[in-house]
Amino acid sequence: MEACLAVEKEVDRVFSKFGGINEHAKRVLSDLIKQIQNLKEEYQNVGDDFKLTPIQIDVLKENVAKVKETVSKLATDHRDLHSTVSKVGKAIDRNFIADFNATTREDVFASQEKINLINKVICQHFYRQGMHDVADELAKEADITPEPHEKEPFTELNHILDCLKNKDLEPALAWATAHHDSLEAQNSSLEFMLHRLKFIELLKQGALYQTEAISYARTHFRKFVRRHEKDIQTLMGMLLYIPNGISASPYGSILGTEMWMEIYELFMRDACQMLGVCVNSPLTTCINAGCIAVPALHNIKQVMMQRQVTGIWSGKDELPIEIDLGNENKYHSMFACPILRQQSTQVNPPMRLVCGHVISRDALNKLCNGNKMKCPYCPIEQAPTDARLIYF
Amino acid sequence: MADIKSLEHPTLKVPYEILNKKFRTAQKTLDREVSHIQQAAIELEKTLDGREVRARDISTLLGGMVEKLQVLKRKAEESISEELAASNVCKRRLEHLKEHNTLSTNGQVSQGALNQWRRTRLDRMVVEYFLRNGYYNAAITLADRSGIKDLTNIDIFLTSREVEKSLANRETTKCLMWCHDNKSKLRKLKSNMEFNIRIQEFVELIRSDRRIDAIKHARKHFPSFEEEHLATIQQVMALLAYPVTTVIGRYKALFDETRWDTLIEQFRQENYKLFQLASQSVFTVTLQAGLSALKTPQCYSDNHENRNPLCPVCRPHLNELAESLPFAHCSQSRLYCFISGLPMNENNQPMMLPNGYIYGEQALTQMARENNGQVICPKTKQVFPFKKVEKVFVM
Ligand SMILES: [Zn+2]
Ligand SMILES: [Zn+2]
Repeated sequence: MEACLAVEKEVDRVFSKFGGINEHAKRVLSDLIKQIQNLKEEYQNVGDDFKLTPIQIDVLKENVAKVKETVSKLATDHRDLHSTVSKVGKAIDRNFIADFNATTREDVFASQEKINLINKVICQHFYRQGMHDVADELAKEADITPEPHEKEPFTELNHILDCLKNKDLEPALAWATAHHDSLEAQNSSLEFMLHRLKFIELLKQGALYQTEAISYARTHFRKFVRRHEKDIQTLMGMLLYIPNGISASPYGSILGTEMWMEIYELFMRDACQMLGVCVNSPLTTCINAGCIAVPALHNIKQVMMQRQVTGIWSGKDELPIEIDLGNENKYHSMFACPILRQQSTQVNPPMRLVCGHVISRDALNKLCNGNKMKCPYCPIEQAPTDARLIYF
Repeated sequence: MADIKSLEHPTLKVPYEILNKKFRTAQKTLDREVSHIQQAAIELEKTLDGREVRARDISTLLGGMVEKLQVLKRKAEESISEELAASNVCKRRLEHLKEHNTLSTNGQVSQGALNQWRRTRLDRMVVEYFLRNGYYNAAITLADRSGIKDLTNIDIFLTSREVEKSLANRETTKCLMWCHDNKSKLRKLKSNMEFNIRIQEFVELIRSDRRIDAIKHARKHFPSFEEEHLATIQQVMALLAYPVTTVIGRYKALFDETRWDTLIEQFRQENYKLFQLASQSVFTVTLQAGLSALKTPQCYSDNHENRNPLCPVCRPHLNELAESLPFAHCSQSRLYCFISGLPMNENNQPMMLPNGYIYGEQALTQMARENNGQVICPKTKQVFPFKKVEKVFVM
């Protein structure tokens, strides 16, 4: 955020300076024009052959000098604003990272074959999002054949989500009602939250809709009393404030527009969970992961350069640091050998010792002493051949 | 916030470069109009210093000056409002970046707003990727659909598309105009775009057998490049002596039609540099890093049971795409039960079946309870008595 604020400060300065010079130029030039126009008219009306007196000439000279000075100052003033402008550029360069060399290898996605793969992935992503026009355009321009894609259940979900974006709750409510039992089983509060929003929207329309709101609450809240009693109390409490408007009441803060954003997210999350599909498309997941990984890789660039490693990707088959993607993105068990501090691979798989401890095969070989070895964790002596290959 | 710092440089730098360019244009305009007024002033002063100063002459001269002042006023207003409009684009993008941590009413960053913002970011990245690859209609469609046109650099790419198209049609005018518009910047970047275009024009004249015109062209345009490119110029001039069908390598190369494609590519790269865009799109950079961060050896294991259909890297296209990328780094084991998806740790001890496969204690216990003390390996479908299951300790 500081990065944005630092640049914004400079942009605001540009605004005020250019705004200032704009006003200034308008004013001084209008004045000059008026002044010179007056002089012109004065001499227009004295008769063609009138000859100017020395005093008149002096006055005119003064005016001409003033014109020269004013306009040249205007150009100079504008030129001086260059430093204000270039400070914006400097603030951007200082606060944002321009260079990706440390975090990518330029050639890996350069081949036509790879570009085609990327385009297919993007295509599938937009079909999934219901943005068929984008996917179709891409397929045409990138000259790829769109592959059959998973339409269901996304067509229906996308329709409901689009409606939510336009603040239309009905399709979402209908869906949630139809799937009441499954949602209940996964402990989702989606259906209640939809009704809650509908109720709040009724209240927001003021006293005229009061009766309607009450009858809505009576019809729909009943089945949620067990799980949402507190929430229902709060909602009904809002009725007290209708005469003076709810936005001015202690409840005002829950009426923000992010309510719609939150319901959108909630619907997406709970509906996808119920249908057993990922909330995010594979592409979205990758990009979100990348947005965590790129800054982390930038951060260690310094360290890498000190260690004289030329690039993060050079020759290594593993990233130089662990990147924490949070709990959502864990799709595989990872076994890291506690002795070698290395991830297991097909050639160096995990082995279970007789005592139950697990180490990698390479570590096991290193610990061998003839046909004997000691487990480093519980010094039980054993034959290395007794260790078992295991699969996580 | 680290992601904004690492990924959004071009989002701001491009509109800044446009602002900077508008500033320089505005300055040029102002300087020109001011000098017109200065000239008028000098003329007026001369007349005032004359022997006889007639009212008629003075009034005409003053009239001319008023006109010039009016022009200056109008141009100043126009130029400055363009500068303000360019600043506005910067401001608008900053506003958008700041929405990254919209606070909800409880004072915390709103997760909904953040997710929304991230989806918009993906769309922004994809638009830029499309533009760089020349998928202009797809870019415009997407920008429209997600309402992000002012957050993307579509305009500058559409301008460059015109230049690219004309080069593809073997026309040089638009590219030369572009060189002229960005003269000072290109000089700073040590660009030889204009020189290469002039050579191409020369080659084309020879190709169409207009050798005299070619010489005229060379006399007119090559001298300004002599200092830097003398050797090249001499080599190119030698072309006059060879037939279009020459087989001598370096002359044959000059007649090669694919030189036009090289010019287009050079134009693209220099246009990126002009706006300080990296040679790769943020999208591909992020995709690479993301795939690597997600990539595990299991995604490539011969045993397909180890793949997870929810894992992006396990899916067909992304799997192929990630093939040459490094794996994620993992120095600490992280184990999940294949059956329940729950973490395996001291609360859910990892257990080994006689076939060497590991599952969580909780899932196996439940399975045994429901199956008369038998457990079935979900990966190999083998059946074992639960009592044959052994504990595993992962440090
Ligand atoms: Zn042991
Ligand atoms: Zn995978």
